[in-house]
Amino acid sequence: MSAKGYMGKIMMVDLTQGIVEIETISPKVYESFLSGMGLAAHILFHRIPAGADPMGPENIIGFVSGLLTGTGSLFTGRWMVTALSPLTQGWGEANCGGSFSPAIKRCGVDGIFFKGTSPTPVYLYVDDKGARLKPAQEVWGKDAVETEELLKAAHKNAKVACIGQAGEKLSLISGVSTDKGRMAARSGLGAVMGAKNLKALVLAGKKRIPVHNREEIKRLSQICGKWVKFQPPFVPGWLTGPIGTLLRILPFVATQDGMLYKILLRKWGTVSMNQMSVEMGDSPIKNWKGSNSDWGFFKSFSSNPDAYVKAETEKFHCYSCPLGCGGICKTKGKFSETHKPEYETVLSFGGFVMNKDTDAIFYINELLNRAGMDTISAGHAVAFAMECYEKGIITLADTGGQALDWGDPAAVKFLTEKMVTREGIGDILADGVKLAAKRLGKEAQEMAIHCGGQEPAMHDSRNDPGFALHYSVEPAPGRHTNGAGLYYEMYQLWKKVKGVPKMGPGYLKSSKYKKNLNHARVGKANSEYLNVMNGAGACLFGGFLGAKRIRIFDWLNAAAGWNFTPEEYMEKGGNIQVIKQAFNVKHGIEPKANRAPDRILGLPPQVKGANKGRTVDVETMMADYWELFGWDRETGKPGKEIVDKILSIA
Amino acid sequence: MAYTISDACIGCRACALICPATAISGEKKQLHFIDGQACIECGACGRVCPSGAVTDEFGLVLERIPKKEWERPYFDLSACLSCTVCLDTCPTGALTQERQKVGSTHLFPCLENEKLCIACGFCVQDCPVDAVTMGARQSAPPKEPVKAG
Ligand code: SF4
Ligand code: SF4
Ligand code: SF4
Repeated sequence: MSAKGYMGKIMMVDLTQGIVEIETISPKVYESFLSGMGLAAHILFHRIPAGADPMGPENIIGFVSGLLTGTGSLFTGRWMVTALSPLTQGWGEANCGGSFSPAIKRCGVDGIFFKGTSPTPVYLYVDDKGARLKPAQEVWGKDAVETEELLKAAHKNAKVACIGQAGEKLSLISGVSTDKGRMAARSGLGAVMGAKNLKALVLAGKKRIPVHNREEIKRLSQICGKWVKFQPPFVPGWLTGPIGTLLRILPFVATQDGMLYKILLRKWGTVSMNQMSVEMGDSPIKNWKGSNSDWGFFKSFSSNPDAYVKAETEKFHCYSCPLGCGGICKTKGKFSETHKPEYETVLSFGGFVMNKDTDAIFYINELLNRAGMDTISAGHAVAFAMECYEKGIITLADTGGQALDWGDPAAVKFLTEKMVTREGIGDILADGVKLAAKRLGKEAQEMAIHCGGQEPAMHDSRNDPGFALHYSVEPAPGRHTNGAGLYYEMYQLWKKVKGVPKMGPGYLKSSKYKKNLNHARVGKANSEYLNVMNGAGACLFGGFLGAKRIRIFDWLNAAAGWNFTPEEYMEKGGNIQVIKQAFNVKHGIEPKANRAPDRILGLPPQVKGANKGRTVDVETMMADYWELFGWDRETGKPGKEIVDKILSIA
Repeated sequence: MAYTISDACIGCRACALICPATAISGEKKQLHFIDGQACIECGACGRVCPSGAVTDEFGLVLERIPKKEWERPYFDLSACLSCTVCLDTCPTGALTQERQKVGSTHLFPCLENEKLCIACGFCVQDCPVDAVTMGARQSAPPKEPVKAG
């Protein structure tokens, strides 16, 4: 086996013709773009023609694993889905954990790509004997959990990624589900599968994953594992709210060491941040129009971590994850079990719609996981509908008599169920807020909060302007996992990479809102590093441990037998960013059009609450960011020379 | 490099029946063949071959070992990170996860069905923190709940 760490091949499935081909990829591609998202960017740029319809046969959807997946490195079990997004019409990407990533490599490839459209519903099955398309009539119409159970019963020891009803019904906010409710949710890529009549990937390959230096990888894993295991007792759940209040009041910020967040994640998972986040002004309230003061401490208490963890019966670890932020919960009502709702889900269907009914959130979590619908976008659609109802744009006649009052759990459930089935008002909302506003008319535009078509996550850009920057400049806009000021603090990249901005022990909060080129420098480093992480298949939460504790660069060298410096890896991250941006330009996206909307930038500023008086000058940050990459400062487009150089690598 | 089957093969089908990667083909009483692309080098075929017909990449014959003498994986729960790498890497699906520490909701690997284990040692090789060792069956430590730590 000559390849190291990576398998050196991809699988290309032509759904129209029913043909499966294995292609060898040049080592130069891996050396320049790594594997994972970088490999996908390289393939998709070259093969999706300009003007392609995201829902048409020319679009290509790729499922990729990371270069480090299966090498003995920790936190590197993430898989990614990528295609021309029907939601944004540009670069589409979504990221997911669970156990599916090594399953891709065990089929002998780093990625499985689909082009064309199948005339009838199919799923791809791969085992030791090879790959074939199989009829999916029996699972078509089933939710993601039922589908997974049926396919696993039919195929021993297989891993499954599939769409639910949302993807089948071509909802532009649908995603891909695995492990009965882990979701690659963003960019509406479930709809691309639905449009291709592709219900699932069922992978049962058993190939070994090669590595260059297993001992060195294990040595680095031991270091990382020790940090993860360090778990001093922490405050009880009810104190997280008051801590958030304290963080809101203090005029200065201590530079975050991600170990603190690691401790929270290991104890509670992502829900640990719920109430703290509301109280400190990180979580948007009432469709970005309200504030923590509208929601109030006692209502935010409903999202306290204890409210969720008390239902957790066992922890859920993604593949190669020593942390285990996930969990399986026993629930009341229609569903007896659900994955522990994530931070984004709790707050999208909590403060964002003013709902304090935790049982309703457990129910909606499972409903959307099964349907395969993005909880961030779906929460936005609900909040949007409630604000439209308040303003008289949606009436009782439109809802069949159901009132849509803020915070009413019955209204929240009603809207979510209708979106899943695409009935009535749900049909208007099921493609995200941009299209919903278009369908409802001009007055609804102001309430439709999106960046280039995609709804941003539950992190307020007025509290951390880094979110505003990344919501606006990333080729897949509106995503919260690509960068933020806080993330940079936790990555502590300056301890491993030369030339990136260094951070001291603390800073004044007000400095975040002042013009400073450093904001863009931090943004550039964030984007580059995240591209490296996504090329490696690494988890963002692992990244928060800090670059000295999670040794991504060293793991990559040990896995692939390379000898690149951290700075060279950051350059590779930059290469990937160029391709993704060039992809958008090729498909007619004006980078400027992805700028975050006024409301979430504090234009006009809020008059009360944690983010009172704050405005983010995102335009300056965007221009600085593009200029640092060497792209056009005004338009955000990379020049021909830059693009040609990157694209000549084959 | 894959394993190969030599002329010594008597076509008993023992290897084909145990191969977890379904890499071996051949009719009863005929010479068998290993598909090099599919072989994962677990060595199970060599351990069961009664005629010493399976050879490794260096041409060395794999030794037959009676099943009752096959080593089994043991998990050091104080070192284990519950990362599930061993579960994924096991080619036979022999491992499951269970709650094994009092006061902890993390799940830990265990070999529930010994019969499924082919003693390949992949779980040992791939564990990122060397929490798995292979040992004789009788060396199994008594299964007692371990305190969470
Ligand atoms: S070594 Fe393992 S995979 Fe290869 S032929 Fe033998 S039993 Fe099958
Ligand atoms: S030795 Fe480990 S990996 Fe191999 S079959 Fe037994 S349990 Fe599975
Ligand atoms: S691979 Fe090692 S650390 Fe991971 S679950 Fe198995 S025994 Fe534990």
